[in-house]
Amino acid sequence: MKNSRIYYKQRIAVYLTAILFIITAGCGKSFLDVPPQGQQPSEQFWQSQADATKGVNAMYANLREWKQVGFASVGVESLGSDDTEKGSTPADASFLTTFDNFSVSPAEGQLLDFWQGQYQEINFCNQVIDNLPNISMDAALKTRYIAEAKFIRAYANFRLVRAFGDVPLRLHLPKTPEEYNLSRTPAAEVWTAIEQDLTEAATALPVSYAAADKGRATKGAALSLHAKVAMYRKKWADALNFTDQVMKLGYTLFPNYEQLFRIPNENAGESIFEIQAQLIPGNKDASNSQYSQIQGVKEAVGGGWGFNVPTADLAGTYETGDPRRDATIIFRGETTPEGDAIALAGVNPRFNQKSYVPFDKFISGYNEGADQNIRVIRYAEVLLINAEAANELGNTQQALSSVNAVRLRARNGLTGILPDITVTEKVALRNAIWQERRVELAMESDRYFDVIRQGRAPQVFGKLGFVTGKNEVWPIPQNEIDISAGKLTQNPGY
Amino acid sequence: MRKLLAGYERHLYALKKMRTATIPFLLSFIFLLQTAAAQAQDIKITGKVTGGSTPAPIPGATITVKGTARGTVTSNDGTYTISAPSNATLVVTFIGFSSKEVPVNNQTTIDITLSESVTQVEQVVVVGYGVQRKVDITGAISQVKGSEISKQPAPNAVSGLQGKVAGVQITNSGKPGAAPNIKIRGAGTIYGSPNPLYVVDGVWYDDISFLNPADIENMSILKDASSEAIYGIRAANGVVLITTKKGKAGKPAVNYNGFVGFQRVTNRVKMANGHEYAIMVNELSAQNGQPDLLKPDDFGEGTDWYKQELRNAMITNHQLSISGGTEKSTYSFSVGYLKQEGIVKTNDFSRFTARLQNDFQVFEPLKIGYTVTASVYNSNDVPDAIFGQLYNSAPIVPVRNPDGSYGDPSKYKLGNGPANNPQVTLDFYDQTTKRHVVTGSVYADLRFAKHFTFHASAGGEYGDSIIRNYTPAYKATTIQQNNISTLMRTGTDRTNWIVENTLTYENKFGDHDLRILAGQSAQQYKLYKLIASAQNVPNNSEGDRYLRLGNTDGREVKDEGDLYTVASYFGRLNYAYKNKYLLTASIRADGSSKFFGDQRWGYFPSVGAGWVVSEEPFLKNAGIFDNLKLRASWGKIGNASIPANVSVLRVAQDPYLTAIFGGNVNTGASINAVVAPVTYWERAVGTDVGLEASVLQNRLYIEAGFYNRETQRAIFDVPFPGSVGTRFSTIITNQANIQNRGWEFTVNWKDEPGNKDFSYSVGANLGINNNKVLSVASGNNPIYGGGAAATGGALGTRTVVGQPIGQFFGYQVEGIFQTDAEAAASAQPFAKAGDFKFRDLSGSHGTPDGKIDANDRVPLGNPNPKYTYGINTYFSYKQFDLAVDFQGVADVDVYNANLGLRFGNENFTKEFYDKRWHGQGTSNTYPSAFIGGRQNYLPNSFFVESGSYFRIRNIQLGYSFPADMTKRWKMKNLRLYLNAQNAFNFFKYRGFSPEIGGTPNNVGIDNSVYPLYATYNFGVNVTF
Repeated sequence: MKNSRIYYKQRIAVYLTAILFIITAGCGKSFLDVPPQGQQPSEQFWQSQADATKGVNAMYANLREWKQVGFASVGVESLGSDDTEKGSTPADASFLTTFDNFSVSPAEGQLLDFWQGQYQEINFCNQVIDNLPNISMDAALKTRYIAEAKFIRAYANFRLVRAFGDVPLRLHLPKTPEEYNLSRTPAAEVWTAIEQDLTEAATALPVSYAAADKGRATKGAALSLHAKVAMYRKKWADALNFTDQVMKLGYTLFPNYEQLFRIPNENAGESIFEIQAQLIPGNKDASNSQYSQIQGVKEAVGGGWGFNVPTADLAGTYETGDPRRDATIIFRGETTPEGDAIALAGVNPRFNQKSYVPFDKFISGYNEGADQNIRVIRYAEVLLINAEAANELGNTQQALSSVNAVRLRARNGLTGILPDITVTEKVALRNAIWQERRVELAMESDRYFDVIRQGRAPQVFGKLGFVTGKNEVWPIPQNEIDISAGKLTQNPGY
Repeated sequence: MRKLLAGYERHLYALKKMRTATIPFLLSFIFLLQTAAAQAQDIKITGKVTGGSTPAPIPGATITVKGTARGTVTSNDGTYTISAPSNATLVVTFIGFSSKEVPVNNQTTIDITLSESVTQVEQVVVVGYGVQRKVDITGAISQVKGSEISKQPAPNAVSGLQGKVAGVQITNSGKPGAAPNIKIRGAGTIYGSPNPLYVVDGVWYDDISFLNPADIENMSILKDASSEAIYGIRAANGVVLITTKKGKAGKPAVNYNGFVGFQRVTNRVKMANGHEYAIMVNELSAQNGQPDLLKPDDFGEGTDWYKQELRNAMITNHQLSISGGTEKSTYSFSVGYLKQEGIVKTNDFSRFTARLQNDFQVFEPLKIGYTVTASVYNSNDVPDAIFGQLYNSAPIVPVRNPDGSYGDPSKYKLGNGPANNPQVTLDFYDQTTKRHVVTGSVYADLRFAKHFTFHASAGGEYGDSIIRNYTPAYKATTIQQNNISTLMRTGTDRTNWIVENTLTYENKFGDHDLRILAGQSAQQYKLYKLIASAQNVPNNSEGDRYLRLGNTDGREVKDEGDLYTVASYFGRLNYAYKNKYLLTASIRADGSSKFFGDQRWGYFPSVGAGWVVSEEPFLKNAGIFDNLKLRASWGKIGNASIPANVSVLRVAQDPYLTAIFGGNVNTGASINAVVAPVTYWERAVGTDVGLEASVLQNRLYIEAGFYNRETQRAIFDVPFPGSVGTRFSTIITNQANIQNRGWEFTVNWKDEPGNKDFSYSVGANLGINNNKVLSVASGNNPIYGGGAAATGGALGTRTVVGQPIGQFFGYQVEGIFQTDAEAAASAQPFAKAGDFKFRDLSGSHGTPDGKIDANDRVPLGNPNPKYTYGINTYFSYKQFDLAVDFQGVADVDVYNANLGLRFGNENFTKEFYDKRWHGQGTSNTYPSAFIGGRQNYLPNSFFVESGSYFRIRNIQLGYSFPADMTKRWKMKNLRLYLNAQNAFNFFKYRGFSPEIGGTPNNVGIDNSVYPLYATYNFGVNVTF
């Protein structure tokens, strides 16, 4: 008995020791080598043509994201102007009022959102530009993708430099700690970099795409944005040259100005670059554009939040009978051409009609108007840049021809309104073209920067609180200055 | 080892029904021999001996007649019979309890209640991978008995610790089923889980919600680095060791504990009523240059949304346990049911738990056993947003209109702030959560070769949860409607296992006492989550809640998972010389799949020394100290509770990256984050010095300690410049060294004065902690935090060298501008009358520059409490017992973000309404209704308030029926009690509750926390 017990004991001990060793053996190197779960490591990316395609797609997709087209864009690119004001109820998002009356504080969150949004876009572009040269793929496609990225990078840098002046210039992905924390590059150098990107993009981009690729950057888009940049920089010869080139690419003005902004007419012949957005049932995250939602008719199902509303000043600036007034502004009490009756009672008398999406398109749970593309550059603007440049260069007839083409379309066959401009005196014609820009491009994020570049801000915006020598640019976001350990400096006056 | 274990069990299970065989019988035999000398005029006395904090019968207690050798022992149900002179005094003794003298005074029935009194020498403490006599411990370990915890009506055992242990801060969340926040000796880690490691019967957990507090026998809180170091990998936030109840040989003991009660909101903040609100809306409108929106006289009291949606919520708990066994095998079985209503209508939580535990002494050297716990949770949920809505909603909006339709905030043109009718929010929110958790462990103990014990254990946890959320199609108000129903199911599976083997050598030779432990451990943690949704699912019954009934288009499926493994080796040496000089040393090596290459393994050593001064001849006979020990220890511990693979950069392929070309969707992917090239183990190095003393026959126990813990290479989530352009502009890596340094004091006094049926104990504990950042990777540049919506997007906290983690940071308010002219002429030209006047403290060159800008921001407060304290009292008189616990924190600040976080016409508190600026001279401290606008919302001193509080945490009054009555009812013990928890709270904070959690660099920012509530309940303990 005793022996068998000892034997039993020993056997148990042997078993347990065996378990110990088995488990210990299990704790070798391989036990601790666990691959990331459901996550692709970055080393596996940027290896193939498929990766390049996905990376380029991400770059386009990000253009409709909140920081690109939401409150940040409204605050920084629109509310400072005399065309729009905050909207909604007075206390609702009252921080946006500080853009309206030029009392914005550097800590205001929309400044940071705008800043981050543009740099996020640049990061997507830089990934394409830095990584594609090392991928073995279709050479023509590679060239095109890089050119598309340069166009979009130029667009983001353009939005940054006109909003903030000197900004950190990122043309490559950061590698060293210094590159992570860049100081501000003088605006002139940023403009030069934008021009270079656009030159390279225009060379490599196709004039048009097959239907399945509609929405990508084209040669016309690069040339048009380059012309716009030249206009901001008063490089009139460049502006004229590039718009002349665009005018030979086959763009046409869409006959009905109001219908131009409706969903069926997206990417029409007038469209030079549009941010593509779509409501995809079952894919809320991809149906993420809030561009129309924030500007939609307040207190209406399928409308929106009622921000960035047209001012009385804008409503009063149109020539009598100009159809563009009704096409640009939804007035309380009207019924839209699509049949939405807008209630007469409400806090805001006017809403943006260019972002309007008929209410029956709304699916609850999704953003109102998530379907609407955002028109970035239209052929009408190219004609107006062409007119402005031609006039500055003394080519009056071309200026008149271009600006009147825009008015002709606005008339859309109606008579007795919007007669052709005939004035030839340079200053008077310049003012006429500027006025035409205002009404043709109203609510399209240009008025505020136009007035500043035209040097008229003190006169036009003075009554709104504009301070010369300060409000030409917005303040650098305080969070960015804090995080940069003082490497970023503030704009004067803030 | 065996001796220690025996001592441990003696201590822990003294209250249990057990056959205390040999010693008492021997004693009684001796006594019986001597009764021959007994005198005449004896009377026969019967009674019952009970003891413990929830008094239970004590079998085997010795009763002697004072001054004689006459005596007896109590039977299994604690009763006794003895003959003694009518003027004699009975002396009752039992191991683990203070002895008690009771004069007979001609009574024939004497029930006696003993209070626990464990001398320091006897007391045994659960430590990592074993038990130790308290006197031999060289680190700082606090032990709390299960009975202390289960006494409180808290569903989670951790909340029962509040105020019980020096240096342990508990922040309760009021949400039913939610685990409280626990911090041991201050905030030592920033990223990942801030919770300590829970080791329940050898299995490691992050959360012990599955555990029924009544199943807990004992909790040990390891507070110093040397005690924790044996758990290297997860020890940085402290370790809580939990032992669950086990059966004891003997007849089955059946125990029922139950309580029923209700919870009601206390310290509710009064909001402005309808009339006052309308005035505020107009004032706000005027501030925006707009005409009046409302006619205040049209509105009276209006809707009190808190009153409307909150309720007195029922709580019910039942627990039944049966335990017993033979010499060879023991068992313990328990079932529990808890049902807790939330204080928000429609919210409730229920939990079933069942637990089975068996131990088998297979043969003399081999013991095996297992524990298995199963729990099922069900809850009907409410959206987290409801608390924000209750705070914000306009009192002028009726719950329902006279025609029965819902009150519609949009009809009042109040904007997006109070856009929702909270009643609609609740009525159309339909979410249930079901969770199942099965967890347990098996072990085998083999003793061999006289001095060796081999212990092998394997444990694990399988848990699944299903969240079923259904939004019906409905139309309630302008904003609150939905035109297509959505069903979403979120399923989570969790599978964890741990295998551990230890070998212990134990030997005593001469004056030497030596124990050596070596062990090995392997663990795996796995999580998988699947989220699926479909639209247009019918709404006829719960039977329709199937995704397959929804539309085939528009379905969404997402998933995610996590997996990590840990391998460890560890060893420890305990050595005592003459029971006077103590030495402990340990080392643990942990390898984690979360780290790579050279950084994969972390090494965590510790050493501790103790000197039992009272054993020295010069003190031993002085009779002052029953025990006096000095101890000092040092240890290094690690923290791997960070997300897996933080230094692995991943590809983002998310739906928002989908491009649209020609109306078609095109999958997008990119790299959208920055990771540190290498992430190291976060580790903490701690030093601890302590003194433990027992004096006055063990009635007074004093413990005092000093600690200094430095968290090195703390892993932080730190923002980097937005111009880098990644979507996530923070980087997770080793960023800072943080120091927590402080003092802890514990004083316990226990006494049974005189010879009455009265005993009492008073315990007090105090923790003093100072948190300081020693260095940060960004040098002198602070790490900012708090940049969430709660602070208006501005960075409201910073972590900077020389200051506490996450201190509040912003402008100093010096007053309120009384006129626009005053504001225009000030350093804040855009300010208007009624705005905060910020103090001009500094310009870019360090001196005031007549301009308010970012340079004027200063530290505003510290969210890390300096003092945490508790006072625990217990009184027993005859059949009555009373326990009163007090608890508090002091010297801490809270950021009241509710005040300034405004998007429009949110409601205001009554206090703000009363004190606001509304015209020249009306206030120089409170701003106008435009507190959420212009620069007023920016982090500033107005929002920072004291978060100190003091509360009567628990009051419990119990009555135990006399033994003769319970005997008649075939019970061993019957006790009824009334309990009030959190009934009285004292604080100055203007919000609902100063107990605010949060991640360390966003801690203490109050943004609609769950209101504070008190729980009142009535309970029964019965033992058969």
